[in-house]
Amino acid sequence: MDGDLKILLVEDDAALAASLVDELQAFGHAVEVARDGPEALARVGNGYFDAIILDRLLPLLDGISVLERLRREQVTIPIIMLTALARATEKVEGLSAGADDYVAKPVTAAELDARLRALLRGRQWTRASETLRAGDITVSPTKFRAWRSGKAVDLPKVEMDLLIELARNVDSVMTRAMLLERVWGYDFDPKTNIVETYIRRLRVKLMADGGEDPITTVRGVGYALKG
Amino acid sequence: MPLRSLRALAIAFLLAFLLITIGTGMAIFTATHATIVAQVDKRILSVSDNIAGTQFPARRSQVLARIAEILDERDTGDLGIELEDGEGRRLAGNMAAMHRRLPSGFSTLDTEDGIPGLTDGRALVREIGNGMTLTVIAETEPVDNYNAERLRIYVTGFGAIILLVVVALMLLMRTISRRITALNMTAEAIIDGDLRSRVPTSGVRSEFDEQARIFNRMLDRIGELMAEIGNISNDIAHDLRTPLARLRNQLTQIERQASTPELRAEAAAAIAQGDQLLEMFAAVLRIAEIDAGDRRAGFAPLDLAALAEETGGILQPVAEESDHQIDLTICEAAPVTGDRQLLTQAIHNLIENALRHTPPGTHIALSVTVSGDQALLAVADNGPGIPEDQRERALRRFGRVDKSRTRPGHGLGLPLVDAIARLHRGTLALGDAGPGLVVTMTLPLRD
Repeated sequence: MDGDLKILLVEDDAALAASLVDELQAFGHAVEVARDGPEALARVGNGYFDAIILDRLLPLLDGISVLERLRREQVTIPIIMLTALARATEKVEGLSAGADDYVAKPVTAAELDARLRALLRGRQWTRASETLRAGDITVSPTKFRAWRSGKAVDLPKVEMDLLIELARNVDSVMTRAMLLERVWGYDFDPKTNIVETYIRRLRVKLMADGGEDPITTVRGVGYALKG
Repeated sequence: MPLRSLRALAIAFLLAFLLITIGTGMAIFTATHATIVAQVDKRILSVSDNIAGTQFPARRSQVLARIAEILDERDTGDLGIELEDGEGRRLAGNMAAMHRRLPSGFSTLDTEDGIPGLTDGRALVREIGNGMTLTVIAETEPVDNYNAERLRIYVTGFGAIILLVVVALMLLMRTISRRITALNMTAEAIIDGDLRSRVPTSGVRSEFDEQARIFNRMLDRIGELMAEIGNISNDIAHDLRTPLARLRNQLTQIERQASTPELRAEAAAAIAQGDQLLEMFAAVLRIAEIDAGDRRAGFAPLDLAALAEETGGILQPVAEESDHQIDLTICEAAPVTGDRQLLTQAIHNLIENALRHTPPGTHIALSVTVSGDQALLAVADNGPGIPEDQRERALRRFGRVDKSRTRPGHGLGLPLVDAIARLHRGTLALGDAGPGLVVTMTLPLRD
């Protein structure tokens, strides 16, 4: 449903950049690569991009400085910071410098794709209180209630949060890491099957009165609510 | 008993000093007294010789004349002279009657003898012939109660010295113990993970400052080494995770382009192995991050009881998936200061550990209790447990226990929880749940 994106990938490791470019192209995106900080700034100045994927450790000018300079120059396109150093303090530093999302390496193209689409969609939200619709499912985040085919579905808190998050990003994949961050507020990867378990419970509740499975599983990536 | 403590050393020194001072005082007192007695004895002997004259036996008329002559002299006012005949009758002299008969030769007089104006003196009694007994006495004190006065002067003088020494010693002790306390506090802070803590220096070139500077230089050096190790782990993260990510991406491409289902399955298995490797990296880096102590900056007050209740509740459905049951025993409130994310992760790890190592049907007990000034979070299962001799190993990185208990896992789960407990100035202990394993995390309560 989303249009394919024009992405600037700023990554100094040529081989990793090449493989990510291939992967992202497989998702239908057009990707340009910049090798260092100054080149990234030059490319942003000379062209249009829907989003930037920015490595934190770069030659000549590090990722944080590039980020700060872009934001100072009123460049508002979504930027995902990519890093090998997944420390909480650095994450805070990256986000406060103006990154929209912060992802630890290694990252799959599927994860990046899901996050980019979520970021771009997030900017189109009008109000948080808006009633969300996905196929025959209606969700009201303010009333904290859900209906399927007009019939109320009684959901416990976690399942409700999960459905709201999926409904906000209808038809696009929410990765396991994204759901952990947004539904549970976890910045770590619990070794438990918590996401799988709650998706299963949500499915059971949504399908209690029949109807087909409204949630698509994208193996090894995440889940999407069908629109 | 060896004098190890500063206080014992000070008390011992003070006692020795007191003994020596009192000893010295007494020796001086006795010595001066002996000197005075010798001088007075010499004087009364010379007066006695003068009166007795060179003849023996002396002639009474001459003796009487010499006594009269001596008593006329002004500077003999402090002398007492008495001459008696053989029957004890008084022939001449300037003294009132004595309370006792003085012995022959030199003797000591005191107030008991009832001689007006004499508190301490010496007497010389001798036969000078013709039945005459001559007694000459003199005071050994230039003023009345001279000895008492002298004792007072000694006590005041030596007392002042002792007081001065006691005060000086206390000041010295306070200075030393203050420095030692400063050193200890720095060491405690370092143990707690605040590697930036240093011993304060006063800016004066003293031995203490020298020691503090050397200690601080040692800490700087350790800090540098730690930073180097930190950099190495960051470098490893960057240098190894990037090629690993590359490898994984290539494998994903191979999987996608695979021409046969067999090849696709092989690629998927390789990806799974790569993911396990990356997971291990993530865990090692996470432990390193926690050990660095930076996350203390984000500590906030929280209720461990409420957190455990919430997390236990969230995990209940997960446990049910594998036919396990989580039993919660949570106390009213357990206020601590900490990192919500890390403590949640710790509970996840402990429960996951119990789920993975116990057969279906096992009950897992998650409890939070308060004991004294500590909060205890325990996860117990009635599974196979860990033998006592292997428990310590289970807390070491990659220290996996006996194969019988070990299922897939990287052996970093418990070390991570241990690091989280340490960051919160707490401890992690493995024990016997009889049967089964109980892992207890003890955290200090918020005051």
